[in-house]
Amino acid sequence: MGKLPSTLLRRPSLAGSCLPTAPSSFSHAPLPSHQPPQCLSSQVRHATFVPRSRRPYQFTQLVQLSDGSTFTMRTTSPLALYKSDKDSRNHVLWQPTNKSLRNVEVDEAGKLAAFRERYGTSWDLDTPAAAKPEEAKQGAAAAAAAAPSGKDGEKEVKAEKGESKKPEAKAAAPAPAEAAAPEDPFDSLVDLISAYATDSKSMQGGLSAKDQAKKDKSGKKK
Amino acid sequence: MASLRGLSRPARSLPLSQLSRQTYTAASIRCASSQADAGALNDLEDSTLTAPQLGPDEKKEFRPWKRAADRKHALPSGRYQYHPPKFNRGPLHPVQSPPSSDPIARDFVPGPFNLPRLKQTYHSTIASDLMTLAYTHVPPGTPKKEAPERLRSWDGSSPYHKNRGLRGPRGNPVLPLIERDITFTNVPAITEITIASYVPEAIKDPDHLLVARSVLLALTGTTPEITKTKANVVQWGIKTGERAGVKTTVYGNAAYEFLDRCVHLVFPRIKDWQGIRATTGDSSGNLSFGFTPDEVKLFPEVEVNYWMYPAKMLPGCRVFIKTSATSDRQARLLLQSFGVPFYGPVRN
Repeated sequence: MGKLPSTLLRRPSLAGSCLPTAPSSFSHAPLPSHQPPQCLSSQVRHATFVPRSRRPYQFTQLVQLSDGSTFTMRTTSPLALYKSDKDSRNHVLWQPTNKSLRNVEVDEAGKLAAFRERYGTSWDLDTPAAAKPEEAKQGAAAAAAAAPSGKDGEKEVKAEKGESKKPEAKAAAPAPAEAAAPEDPFDSLVDLISAYATDSKSMQGGLSAKDQAKKDKSGKKK
Repeated sequence: MASLRGLSRPARSLPLSQLSRQTYTAASIRCASSQADAGALNDLEDSTLTAPQLGPDEKKEFRPWKRAADRKHALPSGRYQYHPPKFNRGPLHPVQSPPSSDPIARDFVPGPFNLPRLKQTYHSTIASDLMTLAYTHVPPGTPKKEAPERLRSWDGSSPYHKNRGLRGPRGNPVLPLIERDITFTNVPAITEITIASYVPEAIKDPDHLLVARSVLLALTGTTPEITKTKANVVQWGIKTGERAGVKTTVYGNAAYEFLDRCVHLVFPRIKDWQGIRATTGDSSGNLSFGFTPDEVKLFPEVEVNYWMYPAKMLPGCRVFIKTSATSDRQARLLLQSFGVPFYGPVRN
């Protein structure tokens, strides 16, 4: 290795830094065929170090999503097959039309209905804000009228198997509110596109920092 | 060696010690090759076929094992092994590095080994969809809108104003990007993804850096680099230039795969996750979000050997998605088509 450049004259600067004992290297003395690497430990103008890239080993992994679809992926995980139990194929946020993924209130014994009849729907977390104050009044009146008996108001909740987020809070909500609650991502996409063609500040080069601060402030006040 | 080749095949297969003893058997065997017509072999120079057979003394002399045992120094390797030079010394130097596509090159990176799913979807579906959705019709012959001059000119009240460069905008020294329309030549795509983790505990205990490094390495498959604190804040106990974080950047296929893993495997497993806040973005098309330590351990690569990391030292990380879009809304459009949900008010 490295025998080819031995016929070349060595650069004076390099010779001076490497071998201070032999500064007159323009003679035909045989040069060392292999230069020790510590000569060029610091970067110099005429020699760029070519680093060997340091990469960890990567495996090709077969990923199986919860609906059974598979694809390969390069990953550092040594598992040959990765089966996911929860992913975007069985999550409400990505599958808003799939009814089975929703939190459905199962009220076979009628206990939830009985509770609402007695105390109103003001205890439901997901009721729309506009409907809440009236119902709260109703509920308070109903609660005052009825004798407070603790065990009557027990909620029986049966959340869907896959869904684990806030089972109690969600299950207590009435069905129509439930249907309206999760925001449809397609709607926001449509909004984004329809707002696209309108004049916006960014088309004129964006807001200055001052204007942006003003805008943010006004947004907060609202 | 050449003389040994003149021996017949069964004699050659014998061990050498045996060969030296039974010399006469080898000479007595008749072979077609050794009986060949000498006239036909005249054209060949120095052929072993025409060479005279070895005598018994010569065979006794032939002891290569003795020569090998007597040799004081090891022979040089028989094969010529090429190693590319460690240094690039410019285009005029006689010793040149091989191109990085050559497997022997020092900077060779093998691959690609698969076509990432998200990239395939982007090129087959998303790019054309974005282009179609964002199409705004301009009747032919419409004069082009001139971009407004955003730099301030000098009023010319002084003779020294002549040939001066324009002044920057008031208040903000940086000119924000002007949004470019999405056309067939300009469809936003993902350029790179940077993953950074700030670990201020590493100032006291550098082991945190090691854990953060190995976590980022597992997530991205690249070697992270260590970052240093930029500011002096006495209350936080940090000084400028202390090693307190790691970061790494992935490009191309690796970036697509990382985003794919985030969107389809990690985000759905986060409890009570609504999406990414829509106010994110630097108003020039780069969006970012973060993972807490609890969310980092949902990644399949971390999960597979979770016991390897000390649980209390597991870092969170921030992810910066750099796109070729020139405004946040275009970048958001791109990420939404990749399946990233956004929530909350939109800023830019």
